[in-house]
This record gives sequence, structure tokens and C-alpha cells, in this order.
Amino acid sequence: MKNNYSKEHKKYLLKTRARVFTIHFSRILLFVLLLLLWELCARFNIIDPFITSSPSRIVKQLGMMINDGSLWHHTWVTLYETILAFSISTLLGTLIAILLYSIPFVRKVLEPYLVILNSLPKIALGPLIIVWIGTGTKAIVVMGILICIVITTISMLNGYLSVEKEKILLLKTMGANKLQIFFRLIFPATFSDMISVLKINVGMSWVGVIMGEYLTSRAGLGYLIVYGGQVFKLDLVMSAIVVLCLLAAVMYFLVSLLEMYVNRKR
Amino acid sequence: MENLLTLKNIQLTYHSPKSETKAIENLSFDINKEDFISIVGPSGCGKTTLLSLIAGLIKPTSGEIVFHSNNSQVGYMFQRDNLFEWLNIWKNVSLGLTFHKRKTEENIAYAKELIEKYGLKDFVSHFPSELSGGMRQRVALIRTLSLRPEILLLDEPFSALDYQTRLSVQNDVFSIIKHEKKTAILVTHDIGEAIVMSSKVFILSKRPAMVKKIINLDFDQSLTPFQRRKDEKYQPYFDEIWEELQ
Ligand SMILES: Nc1ncnc2c1ncn2[C@@H]1O[C@H](COP(=O)(O)OP(=O)(O)OP(=O)(O)O)[C@@H](O)[C@H]1O
Ligand SMILES: [Mg+2]
Repeated sequence: MKNNYSKEHKKYLLKTRARVFTIHFSRILLFVLLLLLWELCARFNIIDPFITSSPSRIVKQLGMMINDGSLWHHTWVTLYETILAFSISTLLGTLIAILLYSIPFVRKVLEPYLVILNSLPKIALGPLIIVWIGTGTKAIVVMGILICIVITTISMLNGYLSVEKEKILLLKTMGANKLQIFFRLIFPATFSDMISVLKINVGMSWVGVIMGEYLTSRAGLGYLIVYGGQVFKLDLVMSAIVVLCLLAAVMYFLVSLLEMYVNRKR
Repeated sequence: MENLLTLKNIQLTYHSPKSETKAIENLSFDINKEDFISIVGPSGCGKTTLLSLIAGLIKPTSGEIVFHSNNSQVGYMFQRDNLFEWLNIWKNVSLGLTFHKRKTEENIAYAKELIEKYGLKDFVSHFPSELSGGMRQRVALIRTLSLRPEILLLDEPFSALDYQTRLSVQNDVFSIIKHEKKTAILVTHDIGEAIVMSSKVFILSKRPAMVKKIINLDFDQSLTPFQRRKDEKYQPYFDEIWEELQ
């Protein structure tokens, strides 16, 4: 097959490949250059490394924390809270969306409440959460859930409602009941909505959990950031942020994998 | 001929907060087995409403719809094929069998037979997006037939197709329906389509819909839609229906 391509097509392929390579290369180059610039500026005291930290100081800090085991501890605490918040809010939000979808009356009644909840900055509820639920992991997870659940519900509900009416009618003429219509049509048809909700929630649950840790915590990456800021250990703050970046990227990547896997299976 | 379906004094009114729309008033007619009825009428006169009533999707405000057969399964085809993009052709065709425990060996064999007979065998594991518009519409028809409906309700099923495809799909669908000995009601805006496909044309009045005139089409039984277009009776029928619709 490959040898059947015309000369122009080969040339075109070569060009696109070269372009993809250049893009990847430039990305890495940019990263390295930025790090280098940062490091040099810090070394030669153009910027104050006490305030801005520097790549080498971050590496040193991370090395120390790996050695005394605290890196793993704090990362795990935050990761655990985030995974909890992510899964609970996705599941619960989807369930609520299904419920609202199947009971139009309740949906109509709750519409304005959803809109207001959606535009409310959830962080405003922070003090309430602490009073009602107490400090610690529970409060942090609840914060994460609050951030994700409303948008999950709204997105999934809109997805369900936008499924073509004609397809629903078609299944009705075939004698399908409500449950069958949901599992045969509504659910698979809104699959891409589900994936984008997952992607949004990956980001949002981190936001929620870090916010929760700012409010109340004794461990976790958010705790390290707040604590590092208070005692002016910016190396610590930067290290925690680096770990956060890595974790968020990994989680996003996992969702993309899931998407690819399921798309191929369909 | 054996009577299949009777509509008696059907009346249907749609209610909405701003208005009350009488879509159908005092509509009565009979449909015999293996009739191929075309329904033409002005836009918005209530044709889709009529099909929904026969399909049992909505209930008439008053009047009666009687099936004289213990199989009241209808097959509904829409303007769009409504294939499920995430299912392959076989799963699309056998979709209806999964409801009401109809996935019997006999029904599966029938669906497979239809697929083979009507030239889709090589495409069973393809996805709808890989098929042409005409083929997709054929899949939709076979999906409909696999439930062995007594009557087929076709709501402008060809209007989304380009002209050339439409002509060939008309031919296909016509021969499939004749071959399977099905009764069909076809709603269309295309007078030519009504003439070449059907045995009778019902001309409906403006809303609320009433049967204004029934035209019996008297073509040679062996003619295909394609040949009917070239028949000398085609033009007079066309003119007659055109006149009525003015
Ligand atoms: N669900 C509904 N609620 C209120 N009014 C409706 C509803 N469905 C249809 N109507 C009205 O009833 C009338 C008949 O509609 P219908 O769809 O049956 O017409 P139609 O003959 O199929 O039109 P077209 O040729 O455009 O397909 C129209 O005036 C339409 O506005
Ligand atoms: Mg219509």
C-alpha cells in the first residue's frame, strides 16, 4: 500500500511529519529555555531567588521531601481527596441529571435553583461547610464536590434534553419502554457530553480540593502552598505547584485514554 | 379485499397556552391490506399528525382507530433515517428486536434474510457514517421491516435525498414493500412520487385535515416506479392532483 502513494503525496507526508516534529521540538525547547532563563536570573541575582525560587532549588526541595517521605504523604492526601470529590460529584451529578430528566415537573421546579447554584461562587460556602461538617478531609471533599456537581448536573441534563426527539419516537414505535429508551439511546447518544464533563471535573475537582485545603487542612499540597507562603518558604510553594501540574496532567491524560478506548470499542 | 385499518370520525386538537389548533377534523377512511396509500396536502395540514395517530403515539381527541388484525405493530420511517451512529448496521437493523423479547431465532433469521436479500450483507459490520444516503435509508427500511409490522408509515422518507438517489431509493423501497406484501402509507410533498409509488392518493384539505379527494391509480401491476414515470397515464394524474392542491 505505502509504495503506491504518488510523489506529491509522499512529499506532503514528509512535510506534515516535519511540521509535527517541529511543533513538538519547539514545545520542549520553550520549556527548557524558560527553565534556563529562570535559573540564570536567579543565579546572577537579577531576580531574588528567595522570593521566586529557582529550578535547582525546587529540585533540591523535592529531593529532600522525597527522602523524608513527606512528598508522598502530602501528594497522597490531596490525590485521595481529589479522586473522592471527582468520582462522587460525577456519579451524583449524573444521577441527579437522570432524575431531573425523567421527571419534567421536578426539573421545571428546580430550574431557577440550579441556575443560581451554578453562578454562586462555591468558596462562599466555605465557612458554612466548616461549621456544619467540621474541619479536615470531609470538609475538603465536600468543597470539591460542591464545585463540580452543579455543572455536572447541568451539562448532563442539557445533553439528555438535546437528544433528537425523532429517535425517541422511533424507539416508542418499536415498543421500547422508558428504561430501554434511556439505556439504548439517551445514554450512548450523550457519551461525548459525559467525556467532556469528566474532563471539566478533572480540573474542577483539583480547584475545589485545593480551595478546601486553603480553608482547613493539616496536610496536602494545598496545605504546603499555604504554609510555605506563610513562612516564606517559596521553594516549598513552587514544589507543591509543580507536583500539582504533573498530577493534573496525568489525570487529564487518563480521561483521554478512556475516551480513546471507548471510542475504539464502539 | 381485506380491510386492515379503519379511521372513524377522527378529530384531533392541539392545545398550547397561546392557542388551540384543530389539526384534524372528522377524518374517516379505510385502508385495505397491501394498499399503498400516498397522502398529499398543503404544508401544515396535519399529515404527520395523522401518522402519529395511526402509530398510537398520540391519542385522538375523539373518534376511533381500529386495526382489523391482531398484529397492530406499525413501522414508522421518518424524513431522516435516524440510524444510531454508535451501532453498526446489523445492530441498527436488529435494534427493535431487543424490545419485548422479540430477539427470537426466527426473527433474527428474518432480519438476516432481509439484509441479504436487499444487498446490505457486506455492510453489516460497517457503521452508518460509512454508508451513502440511499443505503442508509434502505437500512432504515429493513430495520422497520424486521419487526414484521402490519403497516408501514412513511413520513417524507426520501425528501432528504438528492434527486438521483431519491429515484433509485423509490424503486428499491417500492419493490421491497411489494415483495414483502406490506401495507404502506406514504406522506409526501412530491406529486410525482405519490403517483409512481402508490395505488391510491389521498388528497387532504387545508388544516383541519379532511380527505378532499381519493384518486385510484390504475397502472399496470408490473410497472416499477421508474417505468410509471414514462407511462402515458402519469401526466394526466399529475395534472389532476396538481389542480386539486391549488
Ligand atoms: N405538538 C404540537 N403542539 C401544537 N401544535 C402542533 C403540534 N404538532 C403539530 N401542530 C400543529 O398542527 C398542525 C399540523 O401539523 P403537522 O405536523 O401534522 O402538519 P404536516 O401536514 O405534517 O406539515 P408538513 O407538511 O409541514 O410536514 C400544524 O399547524 C402544526 O403547527
Ligand atoms: Mg409533516
